Amino acid sequence: MKRILQYIFMISIGFPLVFLLVLSLGRQWPYPSVFPKQMTLANWEFMQESSSKLFQTFFTSLGISLTVAFLVTALCFFVSKRIAYSKNRNTYLVLAYIPYLLSPVILAVIFQYYFNIAQLTGTALGVIIAQFLIAFPFGVIIYLNFWNENLKATEELSYTLGGSTFQTFKKVLFPLSKNAILLCFFQVFLISWFEYGLTNLIGIGKVRTLTVSVFNFVNEANIFYAALACCLLVVPPMILVYINKKFIFFVEKNEA
Amino acid sequence: MRQKRRYRNFSNLLFIAIVTLPVASGLVYALLYSLGFIGLLNKGFTTDAWETILLGKPFWSSLGFSFYIAMVTIIISLTVSLSIAISWRKNLNKGALSSLIYLPLCFPGTVMAFFSYQTLSKSGLLSRIGFQLGWIDDLRMFPSWINDAYGIGIIITSVLLITPFFIILFSNLYTSEKVEEYVQLAKTFGASKRQVLLKVTLPILLKKASVTIYLFIIFVMGSYEVPLLLGRQDPQMISVAILQKIQKYNLYDIPKGYAMSVLYVVLVIGVLFILYRKNKTFFKTEMKHS
Repeated sequence: MKRILQYIFMISIGFPLVFLLVLSLGRQWPYPSVFPKQMTLANWEFMQESSSKLFQTFFTSLGISLTVAFLVTALCFFVSKRIAYSKNRNTYLVLAYIPYLLSPVILAVIFQYYFNIAQLTGTALGVIIAQFLIAFPFGVIIYLNFWNENLKATEELSYTLGGSTFQTFKKVLFPLSKNAILLCFFQVFLISWFEYGLTNLIGIGKVRTLTVSVFNFVNEANIFYAALACCLLVVPPMILVYINKKFIFFVEKNEA
Repeated sequence: MRQKRRYRNFSNLLFIAIVTLPVASGLVYALLYSLGFIGLLNKGFTTDAWETILLGKPFWSSLGFSFYIAMVTIIISLTVSLSIAISWRKNLNKGALSSLIYLPLCFPGTVMAFFSYQTLSKSGLLSRIGFQLGWIDDLRMFPSWINDAYGIGIIITSVLLITPFFIILFSNLYTSEKVEEYVQLAKTFGASKRQVLLKVTLPILLKKASVTIYLFIIFVMGSYEVPLLLGRQDPQMISVAILQKIQKYNLYDIPKGYAMSVLYVVLVIGVLFILYRKNKTFFKTEMKHS
């Protein structure tokens, strides 16, 4: 019985992906047919057509998410280190939790005016800055769990032995921080990749990311293209989660 | 030494500039707008928007509906995830399930909401299967799970989104907190299966995950994409309600939208400070200061 339940559970985990894939291949789905009347690769071919812009949308989303992930990962690394060793560490941590806990779309509501006067609304740069503002506190929270006394002592030992700031970073801190850096990068990438409300409000519909496209297709009652956009949305996180999980597994083995 | 101090001050200032300043200045703008000092139709200081929000129904009913959705979602999710994490713990550590359980984490709210809509709506997959099996004769006979008054579609989707996370969390906690050893100890002392579950396993797992659970209640309360696609006009979840006020063509509603957003932000900050005071071990660490 337990085995059967587990198989049902595993099938149900994979079901949404299969369902969306089938729907992305569909053309007509009249009620009460369980499967679409027509199954074709035409929807996926549509993606490549320059007029569809779905191909460009995919790369716009990828570009925005990679930029936000890179900026947050790099900047948070140095800022969080100072905060972690600061006397007011806990105050900073609570301050970081405020934007982290608030709904991104509510933050977009209160930020919007400043983006308007800076003429950043409706631009990819505006969306990157807005996403950076919501992801930065999260990056700090991830890194704050990582900095500790042992790491600090190792860093100070490097300075004592004559290592320069750059050498200490390259030979000591960076190799020891690889796990935390990758974790931060993946997590921030996912936050940016999954974001809809803030992106739509700051991008005012002009910056078409994949999540924005899903809602546009739903509003146009085009469920097949919406399913196609959903499939595209799921692919990079699946690759990332696979790499991340493998990576964590690898580290545990090493530590053991 | 001076360079080091300058770098430290710069980092702290950068943190304030990126994390605190935007929220604070956004709140100031929203507050000024809601009090009539600025905005398209401003006529000087007025508390009209605040009186409408504080004494009227929309804000509190949206907040109450969001809290109801979050609580029901968390209770169902915790029940399912604890059952799976405890009874299938060996399968969650190795084999196909240990990898497959990460798959739902790839689904953003937007995708899961779209999936739920296509599955649970009156013309969705379940309704079609019901029709083919002869359970219903017409799609109108299928129950309303989407855009319904009780937020059933929102709850199901939110449960689908967060349950895998909690399964992984509890599964990891079970190992890291050495729950198995406590279970064996309790059994040695003659505890029954029920006593082990209620007095040992559940208290350890729930206590360790308590702050994460509280944070998830706030996250679900503030969710936007799922209720936008699966919710309805009344009652609305708080994020959707605020956005609708801000984006409405009626300019008189904008100050109310800003008043609602200020009130929501203040409430979340209040809850965060309560959590901070009640759960010092979560926020406070034993890092020695330089």
